[in-house]
Amino acid sequence: MSFWLAVLRQVARNLRQTWPSQFMTLLTVSLSVLIFAFFYLVYMNMLGVGDKLGDDLRLIVYLEEEPGPEMQEQLRRKILAFDEVEQIRFISKAEAYQRFADQLGNDRDVLDDMPRDFLPASIEVVPLKNLRSLSQVKLFSDYLARLPGTLKVQYGQDWIERFYYFTRLLSIVVLLSGGLLIMTTVFMVSYTIRLTILGRQAELELLRLVGATNNYIRTPFLIEGVLQGILGSTVGIISLYTLFHWIKLRFSGPGILTIFEFSFFQGPTVATIIFISVLLCTVGSYLSMQKFLRI
Amino acid sequence: MSESNGAMIEMIKVSKIYQPDIRALSDVSVSIAQGEMFFLIGMSGAGKTTFLKLLCNMETPTNGLIEIAGRDIQKLRGKTLARMRQKIGVAYQDFKLLTDRTVAENIAISMEVSYKKPQHIKKRVRDLLDRLALADKHDAITGELSRGEQQRVALARAVANSPTLILVDEPTGNLDATTTRRVMDLLTKCNHSGATVIIATHDDSIYRDTQHRIMELRSGKLHLIREGLPQ
Ligand SMILES: Nc1ncnc2c1ncn2[C@@H]1O[C@H](COP(=O)(O)OP(=O)(O)OP(=O)(O)O)[C@@H](O)[C@H]1O
Ligand SMILES: [Mg+2]
Repeated sequence: MSFWLAVLRQVARNLRQTWPSQFMTLLTVSLSVLIFAFFYLVYMNMLGVGDKLGDDLRLIVYLEEEPGPEMQEQLRRKILAFDEVEQIRFISKAEAYQRFADQLGNDRDVLDDMPRDFLPASIEVVPLKNLRSLSQVKLFSDYLARLPGTLKVQYGQDWIERFYYFTRLLSIVVLLSGGLLIMTTVFMVSYTIRLTILGRQAELELLRLVGATNNYIRTPFLIEGVLQGILGSTVGIISLYTLFHWIKLRFSGPGILTIFEFSFFQGPTVATIIFISVLLCTVGSYLSMQKFLRI
Repeated sequence: MSESNGAMIEMIKVSKIYQPDIRALSDVSVSIAQGEMFFLIGMSGAGKTTFLKLLCNMETPTNGLIEIAGRDIQKLRGKTLARMRQKIGVAYQDFKLLTDRTVAENIAISMEVSYKKPQHIKKRVRDLLDRLALADKHDAITGELSRGEQQRVALARAVANSPTLILVDEPTGNLDATTTRRVMDLLTKCNHSGATVIIATHDDSIYRDTQHRIMELRSGKLHLIREGLPQ
């Protein structure tokens, strides 16, 4: 009989003997994967939405007077003192006038009577597109408003900031549920395997006496862990996918969900989640064996 | 397992003291040749089981050297120890059967761990059950058998994997004369096909007329009762 055939027979026997606890473990693993993947999915989609919002986000600092080159350099240094930014652009009164005129298009003749410098000079600041800088847009704008010579600061709606604050909160939830996933899978799997080992002490002892190698005794338990990982994470992901589609169908009317395109995980992400679950379950079964299999 | 000088077992000044202070064996020295059949007798508590447990590495000697096929068994670890054990078949006095498994499964275990083919295992199990008059117990749950039946299942498991060394502890304690005959026939057959067989017993009916060496344990010491005839 080949090694693997013998090992698989052992696994089948284990599962038959301890299926109630095996089933509970499977359920726990699936649920943990589901919870984690759910929050992660929401988070990913939020990031996607954030990217779109971030594209349009810029702060416009209106200045009392047009800065000379030296003044521009000073302001630039002051801005960078707060945080790194994607871009800083100075717009002179003439440029502002030109832009406005371009925007008016055919109606530009209403400007004919206006002086060429009636619009204030300004600085356009484009913040970096990362969560940290985006979530402190308000702080940034307050800081800019306090710079000498500024009239006022304009930026996109308040809710952008709140949105990023929420995303940050969500990232904490993702981390927490990830921690939960690690704990439950490792502990549950090591717990069930401990049950199996303790329930079969006599048999494992006999196997050693008749000359079973360590691998012969150990591998079935490792396979059990791997199976728990594969099945548990697959069930978890499939449940999430079903949930995802249900929500999409259910709320496909007009509203925020239609403005933004929500998407499920890509293949590699799914593979990574499954791989990590398998790894965790294997660690769980390994821990149990280290403790309870006296070889 | 083969050794140039033909000794399967070398025991030199082996002592075993159980905690706290039970001297089960003291300074036992014996050499058992490959292919020999060897009877170890002695009163209850004389140390026969201890002797066998030392040989299969279930207990470690307090003192002395034990070599099997030229290898110090105390130095064996992991895979080498496992391989050595696959080559030693032991019928324990307390059987050590898995009582919730069938008879066939119990016998198969010793062959499964050395990856024998399933067809081979099936055939061998049937053959052994026939020889031991247990043919109808193939699928019986082992825990439900009588003591005498369990004893034969334990023996069948010990010899199933065709080991080169067979250790049997009290193989006939619960058996009638006819069944005892069958058990001894099986052991003799194993011995004829090359296995070294060591039988610990106080049943004088199985060693009374034997041509083989008999030694007796008395208060932990080994005494020669009968020299074996050269074969
Ligand atoms: N694990 C142990 N711990 C302590 N003492 C032990 C242990 N095993 C055996 N003994 C003692 O060692 C002595 C020898 O025991 P052993 O089992 O070898 O005798 P035996 O010859 O097999 O007896 P029997 O014919 O009744 O099976 C006995 O006095 C026994 O009480
Ligand atoms: Mg005994």
